[in-house]
Amino acid sequence: MTALTSTVVRLKLSLLRNGLRQSGGRRAAYVASAVVVLVFAVLQLLGLIALRGHAHADALVVLLVGVLGLGWAVMPLFFPGGDETLDPTRLVMLPLRPRPLVRALLAASLVGIGPLFTALMLVGSVVAVAHGAAAYVVSVVAVVLALLVCVALARAVAAANVRLLTSRRGRDLAVLSGLVIAVGAQVVNFAAQRLGTAGLGQLDPAAEVVRWLPPASAVGAVDSVSEGAYGLAAGQLAVAAAALAGLVAVWARSLDRLMTAPDGSTLGAAEEDARDRRGGAGWARLLPDGRTGTVMERSLRYVWRDPKTKAAWVTSLAIGLIVPVFNAVQGTGSIYFACFAAGMLGIQMYNQFGQDTSAFWMVALTISSPRDAYVELRARALALLVITLPYATLVTVVTTALLGDWPRLPEVLGLSLALLGAMLTTGAWTSARFPYSIPQEGYKNVAPGQTGLAWISIFGGMVAAALLCAPVIAVTIWLNVTVDGELWSWVLLPVGAVYGTAITLLGLRLAAPQVAARLPEILAAVSKG
Amino acid sequence: MTSAVRVRDLWKRFGQQVAVAGIDLDLPAGKFIGLVGPNGAGKTTTLSMVTGLLRPDQGSVEVVGRDVWRDPVAVKARIGVLPEGLRLFERLSGRELLGYSGRLRGLPGAEVDRRATQLLDVLDLAGAQHKLVVDYSTGMRKKIGLATALLHNPEVLFLDEPFEGVDPVSAQTIRGVLERYTASGATVVFSSHVMELVESLCDWVAVMAAGRIRAHGTLEEVRGAAPSLQRAFLELVGAEGRDGGADLDWLGGGAAR
Repeated sequence: MTALTSTVVRLKLSLLRNGLRQSGGRRAAYVASAVVVLVFAVLQLLGLIALRGHAHADALVVLLVGVLGLGWAVMPLFFPGGDETLDPTRLVMLPLRPRPLVRALLAASLVGIGPLFTALMLVGSVVAVAHGAAAYVVSVVAVVLALLVCVALARAVAAANVRLLTSRRGRDLAVLSGLVIAVGAQVVNFAAQRLGTAGLGQLDPAAEVVRWLPPASAVGAVDSVSEGAYGLAAGQLAVAAAALAGLVAVWARSLDRLMTAPDGSTLGAAEEDARDRRGGAGWARLLPDGRTGTVMERSLRYVWRDPKTKAAWVTSLAIGLIVPVFNAVQGTGSIYFACFAAGMLGIQMYNQFGQDTSAFWMVALTISSPRDAYVELRARALALLVITLPYATLVTVVTTALLGDWPRLPEVLGLSLALLGAMLTTGAWTSARFPYSIPQEGYKNVAPGQTGLAWISIFGGMVAAALLCAPVIAVTIWLNVTVDGELWSWVLLPVGAVYGTAITLLGLRLAAPQVAARLPEILAAVSKG
Repeated sequence: MTSAVRVRDLWKRFGQQVAVAGIDLDLPAGKFIGLVGPNGAGKTTTLSMVTGLLRPDQGSVEVVGRDVWRDPVAVKARIGVLPEGLRLFERLSGRELLGYSGRLRGLPGAEVDRRATQLLDVLDLAGAQHKLVVDYSTGMRKKIGLATALLHNPEVLFLDEPFEGVDPVSAQTIRGVLERYTASGATVVFSSHVMELVESLCDWVAVMAAGRIRAHGTLEEVRGAAPSLQRAFLELVGAEGRDGGADLDWLGGGAAR
């Protein structure tokens, strides 16, 4: 072990120790989590050992190690500051060469609960599949190799991530990454449920692929040796070793650049963006002239280009689809859940000017009458409808198809339209009366000190929207309980459409003078982010 | 002499702090006017109230003879603003931002595009016109902000710290455009705390400190007997003779430690 390696490893150990010394609560939390993780790891270890000899054991352990590797790759994206010794930006000022530094940091990465847990899992995995002396020898190599691949993977991703986060594009992506995890969790959940019902045999096809992917390929090699396929095993080990070499090289290169280049913020992004964008604006020509089209164009561009707006939209679109459709697939759903799509998307009308941030001054300087404010609000509502109307209709039709309840389609569509109208009208009004700032960096959606305002805006608005919908809901219930009511339920489609349109226009008319009269107040409220 | 801006008894408080304490001011039309003062003097607050972006606690503001708060239709069409510390719609490209701003002001689309092309050329932004404003440098942001402020050919242009953080090349470009613009009879009001700049650009100056106007008039009037505007300014705000050289006697000399 070189001097640098031992120094960095000792640094890591003393940082762990010092972290524990800081407070009793923190020590207790650390010890408790360590115990939980270790108990979990030991139980897994026992479970894997018990699995020895099971027909699908090889598939299971290969996938397990695959998931473990994925975990190591993803973790640094969400806990970038999790490990101080290993944060290379802190070492920038020290005169260190990349190669010894990489070696030292890699060694230090092996210290900690995470690597210990991984090591235990890997040991369990090879025990489950290793049969014969040759396999045991390969097991030792495989465990070390797989562990190093995991750690190097995390380091390479973390170093790349630091570089990414210093550019604007990277920060935009970071805002969206929370979303990726939320959607990913849904998918994993869904897969686990299927597995629970269909059995381990389902794993085999996936394992066929994963046994060639590092770090799982190292464990795959142990299995291959056990079955006498030495050539295959050599190939799998080589893949893992090559991956390790590749990851270390990538990591060393980004470390090198990280330590020598200050940051890539504007310059890098600038070059990349310099390409011509004129081609993309064809759709804008379909929009109406004047303020209406101009505002719609800007709003729709922001849905795609502004990370905060995009994240909000994607969330609304996803939840608006998932709730009714997943419920319908599982057979527990009601067709009325389809209204969720309209409701979720209607939320985007809320806090319109907060979405502008302090750039609202550009809008404020061009609004000089309630008429201007009305056109502005109407254009924003229209931009929203361009996406929402087809989407809500689609979700309603899909939900209806899944439930096979076609006679109810018109009334559910009618209800959706009425709800959408109610959301737009309350959204316009609360945008005028209770605007609040949306911070542009990080995950927060409300500026400090304005939480109360945001609650009034969103929940007050939604209660009001529910009340506004009451007449249409009442008609729906009435038609459903009276004799022969279902013969007339189609009436709800035109009723809902007309009602929704009427309350939207009325709401915009009422909100417009408020906006026109409160321009400086709105600007002050949305400029705190 | 006609006034481009007429301010009477203008007040603004933020909690306990008085940001603007009763300003009376007449800014002559057709001049290059500098509003100077140290940081925190109330320049931004004053300009925000004059342009209708901040509601005053008290007082009246008239721009080209119309009340900013009672007749916003007439005023907003006639002024161009480049505020300090407020964002632009940065997820639009430079050209899209100009198109958005011009159309929002009701100019015909073809005319907006024609003017945008010329402004982008003159301000040296043609190469970056399809880049998102969020990726612009400080100087480029100021220039695209200036272009949006000029696009509708306003009578009075209000610029809050237009040269702050701007490199010398961009500053020279901005200067050239502004000089051409005032030569045509339009009025520019800009705030700054860089006296040399104000002295070389402006023909009329108002000095602000602690929320009040300390002096105003032509450059010569305000400068008076002082050798430079800088000197006159330091006297006016009462910061003369505070050079603080006596204390840090260990500083300098190159003998580190």
